[in-house]
Amino acid sequence: MRVYESLRTGTLEIFNNKLRSFLSFLSISVGVISILYSITLIYSIRTRTQKALEVAGPGRIVVKMKDRWNSSSDMEKKQARESLTLEDALALESRYPELFMTSPMLRKWIQFRVGNFSEWQSVLGVDPQWRKRGWIYKMRGRFLNQFDIDTRARVCVIIIEGGWLKKPKWLKFYDNKDRFQEFVKHEDMLGKTIMLSGNLYTVVGVLYEPPREKNPKAFLQVESWSPKILAPITTVQRFLSGYDESEGGIDQINLDTGRESTINAYKARVEKFLAARHGGRLNFLEIKDYRDIIKDKLADKQRDMYTVLIIGAIAILAGGIGIMNVTLATIYSRIKEIGIRRAIGATRGAIMAQFVIEAMLLGFFGGVAGIMVGLGGIQYLASKGNEDMIMLQWWMPFVSVLAAVATGFLASLYPAYQASKLDPVEALRYE
Amino acid sequence: MIKCEDLHKVYPIGKGSGYQALRGVNLHIRAGEFTAITGPSGCGKSTLLNIIGFLDNPSSGKYYFGERDVTAFDDGKRSGLRLRGIGFVFQSFNLLPRFSALDNVKLPMLYAGMDKEPAGKLAAELLARVGLAGKESNSPVKLSGGERQRVGLARALANRPRLLLADEPTGNLDSGSGAGIMDLLLELNKEGLTIVMVTHDQGLAKRVSRVIRMKDGLVEN
Ligand SMILES: Nc1ncnc2c1ncn2[C@@H]1O[C@H](COP(=O)(O)OP(=O)(O)OP(=O)(O)O)[C@@H](O)[C@H]1O
Ligand SMILES: [Mg+2]
Repeated sequence: MRVYESLRTGTLEIFNNKLRSFLSFLSISVGVISILYSITLIYSIRTRTQKALEVAGPGRIVVKMKDRWNSSSDMEKKQARESLTLEDALALESRYPELFMTSPMLRKWIQFRVGNFSEWQSVLGVDPQWRKRGWIYKMRGRFLNQFDIDTRARVCVIIIEGGWLKKPKWLKFYDNKDRFQEFVKHEDMLGKTIMLSGNLYTVVGVLYEPPREKNPKAFLQVESWSPKILAPITTVQRFLSGYDESEGGIDQINLDTGRESTINAYKARVEKFLAARHGGRLNFLEIKDYRDIIKDKLADKQRDMYTVLIIGAIAILAGGIGIMNVTLATIYSRIKEIGIRRAIGATRGAIMAQFVIEAMLLGFFGGVAGIMVGLGGIQYLASKGNEDMIMLQWWMPFVSVLAAVATGFLASLYPAYQASKLDPVEALRYE
Repeated sequence: MIKCEDLHKVYPIGKGSGYQALRGVNLHIRAGEFTAITGPSGCGKSTLLNIIGFLDNPSSGKYYFGERDVTAFDDGKRSGLRLRGIGFVFQSFNLLPRFSALDNVKLPMLYAGMDKEPAGKLAAELLARVGLAGKESNSPVKLSGGERQRVGLARALANRPRLLLADEPTGNLDSGSGAGIMDLLLELNKEGLTIVMVTHDQGLAKRVSRVIRMKDGLVEN
């Protein structure tokens, strides 16, 4: 018996029992829609995480001052604290020259002023190593160089946000315009002289972020609120007066070992090294694997993903039960036919195959219907600025339909087996 | 061609020892014979025919088909014999109502693995042979009783069987249509087909080469 014949009979049966078939289509479709949605979401999260890690660097370690207000006791809060210093960073670099990146940072909250325009902004003091990782920018002019660091030059680089390709609707409701960004977007800042905390600085470079949808940093919401003005860390430390939390030192040092496999080893080495420099006390610092930071940020998205996946699984399961029901009903209404086919010479296997193929067809049609609705929905969400739904891949609909067909297959196995076991004589006598 | 030795068939009923439908049937049918089985209602004719046609299993006894002992054949082999070795004609036709006459006749050929086109051609030839040329695409529902049985006969011949089994093929037909079917069967037998037919009609029984009488699950001598 050719599969083609079974397909033809199956299609006939499906159209002969429209309501029955429609009901099982429906649940299968819902299942397929949510499966399509969740694999798109899973794929999106995976690829974006990977991208973000790539950009951040594979062997990233963050050495950071602990947040003072999270200290365990009042005593600790009042105590004068040790602080991480620029010298720590330099010492680390000369002790471990093989490190791909040793990038110190210090953040200060200052007043930015050009002519009549003034706005509070934070400035990030960095050195040239900063650009080794997380570089997602298009640059005009130049970046800070070692000469700027050594001479404590009064220069800065300004970052211009990428904005949205398609702004999500919900954002339009509480749209608080960033005055600073509006200003630097509309004024060509390159080469201009500006005031930071009352001193004159020259803008030597302008960095353009990619649009938010394509910005891996924005996706992870790590560093997305980082300062948009960069200046030599030495200058920031010495000359720029403003508010900071570094207690005279620096905020953090970002390291990159260059490889994921060496992270743990270097974490231990760096910890030991810094402890030796700070009299054995390291409780004012935390040393974190960057991947852990990312994982925390992703926890929410992951919860979303599992919820949708579970709903999808339940819907598919319901669809499967629907198909099983339909198959059972079909078999009961066709006992006589089964007897006739057996009398003609159909084997048990052929009978079983007939009903299984029919159920797989049900799954297929339901799946295709679900895909059409689901693709429409995803297109709609993507057009409304859903960052995950634009990650839909061509193979995802196929996988979803495959899941529906597999459901049809599994759900019909038992009823079809029962049908194949019917006694031919009994079945023939059945009216 | 067929040899039955001491066939018994017991139908289980409740908790008792069951109902003895066949109690030791011995039967020998040679190739080319046209045999009619007659006997009172309930004597076991259909039961015997079903066993001969591999639709049912005997409770005990031996059954030889051709030269082979087929008593212990498994379902797959029995299905194969039903498919290629035997054609079945039923009293109530047993056609698939949603298929056309042609598709009904094609079905056994498709199960046998024949391609669609040659199967369609052969099925059309068979329908012409039983006098239904031009009615290939009709649904069985729209055919008369006599025509339905002709479709049933054409289907039974689909895979060129060596043996044709017919359980009261004229039982649901008026005498005219019945005679038509009988003429076809006699013609087929003349061409060499072995036929075993169960019938209540003494008139039909007189037209065949051999009549076997059954009573209470036994063949009378
Ligand atoms: N599945 C079954 N379970 C129990 N008893 C059965 C079963 N099938 C047949 N019988 C009994 O076996 C006996 C023989 O039945 P069978 O159908 O062979 O009779 P028959 O000779 O064909 O009768 P008829 O001429 O009326 O068709 C009958 O008494 C019937 O009641
Ligand atoms: Mg009978």
